[in-house]
Amino acid sequence: MTTRNTFAQGMTLTWRSLVPLRNQPGELIQLLLQPIFMIVIFVVVFGAMSGDQAGAVQHLLPGVLTQVALTQTITTGLRLAEDIGNGVFDRFRSMPIARSAPLMGRILADTATMTLTVAVALLVGAVVGFRIRTSPLEALGGVALLLLFTLALGWVSAWLGLRAKSAASMQGMATAVLLPLTFGSTALIPAANMPGVLQWWAALNPVSHLADSLRALFTGGPVGAHIWITLGWAGAIAACFVPLAVRAYSRRIR
Amino acid sequence: MTNTIEAEGLVKRYGDKTALDGVDLAARAGSVLGVLGPNGAGKTTAVRILATLVVPDGGSARVGGHDVRKEPAKVRELIGLTGQYASVDEKLTGRQNLVMIGRLLGMPRAGARAKAAGLIDRFGLSDAADRAAGTYSGGMRRRLDLAVSLVGEPSIIFMDEPTTGLDPQVRAELWDVVREQIARGATVLLTTQYLEEADQLADEIVLIDRGKVSAKGTSDQLKARAGDRRLEIRPEHDAEKAERILAEITGLSPHHGEHGLISVPVLDPALPSAVFRRLDDAGIVLAEHALRRPTLDEAFLALVSTPAEAPAGSPAERPSA
Repeated sequence: MTTRNTFAQGMTLTWRSLVPLRNQPGELIQLLLQPIFMIVIFVVVFGAMSGDQAGAVQHLLPGVLTQVALTQTITTGLRLAEDIGNGVFDRFRSMPIARSAPLMGRILADTATMTLTVAVALLVGAVVGFRIRTSPLEALGGVALLLLFTLALGWVSAWLGLRAKSAASMQGMATAVLLPLTFGSTALIPAANMPGVLQWWAALNPVSHLADSLRALFTGGPVGAHIWITLGWAGAIAACFVPLAVRAYSRRIR
Repeated sequence: MTNTIEAEGLVKRYGDKTALDGVDLAARAGSVLGVLGPNGAGKTTAVRILATLVVPDGGSARVGGHDVRKEPAKVRELIGLTGQYASVDEKLTGRQNLVMIGRLLGMPRAGARAKAAGLIDRFGLSDAADRAAGTYSGGMRRRLDLAVSLVGEPSIIFMDEPTTGLDPQVRAELWDVVREQIARGATVLLTTQYLEEADQLADEIVLIDRGKVSAKGTSDQLKARAGDRRLEIRPEHDAEKAERILAEITGLSPHHGEHGLISVPVLDPALPSAVFRRLDDAGIVLAEHALRRPTLDEAFLALVSTPAEAPAGSPAERPSA
């Protein structure tokens, strides 16, 4: 199996994961509705409740963006579990293709849809009044940081999906992992409004640091150590879960 | 070695359940090997081992001359796999499924498209080709699954219960496909629960029951092993009297079939004429009479032991691994 073949097979399987978005308008709408709804609910509704609509939008949008992106990471493991459950994975396994190609296709496709989701969320944000106040370089840095962090989480998702007995149980496990990460963070609620234990957790939670990094990179203000802490977490998560996922995958694909 | 598929002493356990308990299989190049057995007999496990999807706990298997355990990549270049659990990507259209497989097998884009178009045509999927496979009926999915497994024109084809649950017309269409594959020189291993299917397609039949081979041979050999020819009669009237006559001549109590059929085994070639003479003397008119070999159904029943201790509705055969 040459590297070129492996790459071509990986690209074919990336295409395979992305083409349903073109085939079925429902798939694409579903993908785009999630960021739109989240932004409308959190940014517009909560923003209106706070009185200072413009300030709330500037503060909340980066937080909602992390939420949207994190929720999207479930896809990686969910689709892997579905492929395993319905026999598509076995079809690939019985074929003379690189063992790594199905996983590579999955990760590449999910990175592409994640980029699309983030772009849509920022566009919808612009529509409801969110303005990037920093240089394009800083803004791109923010997007890159978000993609990097969700890529690391994607490997946790992949690991769960490869270990799960079914797609449904994978979804349950992923939700159990994501809920404390997203809601137990300062992404949407300031730490000052939280009870003691939650404050402690929110300060530790990488999602808090990610959201605060994005705020600084999109709207200005002091970045502090948030970016480095976020990068450190992303690295640590990847260092743990890439090997775990690859091992679970090798067992499955054998 | 002339056998394209060859397995000796295959053993596979799932926990404390033994799916295969020393199964031997052999298929000559260009032949159809029918693996026949009830649900849960171990057929799917055997196919999964041969298709390199499951590693056996014991025994060895060679497919196209390559050991499934040591050279799985070589085996995968030769085989096509299709199953009762039609494994197509439901979100892709039928055409996209076929093109994807062609591309994965290294065909250039135009080649993969042309191949897909040909298979769509051959399998009568033209109307549905550009619809998501998830919207297909059971028969269409099965046809697509079979088409997908033939994209690479494999020289060895594994079909795991390809027609289970399909209506007779679709089944007959799939049989034609199997015959075409044989005609182009492929070797086929086909598992089935349908005796008729094995009878129609297989050159050799292996009967598997609870993880073991319980019989093997050609369909005729298996029928012969099930017992002797039988004389069947259906009297127009006086059925009891006819039965008494049969019992008197053979010394056996006749078997009652459906629709008033009475039958006895023919142990003596002179029996039929004797029976007809006596019935004629007694003035009994026969609505129907036949001298026939046992059906494969009867052979099957005779050769497969009754699973007395197995609970009814045994678990699905497909292992979770």
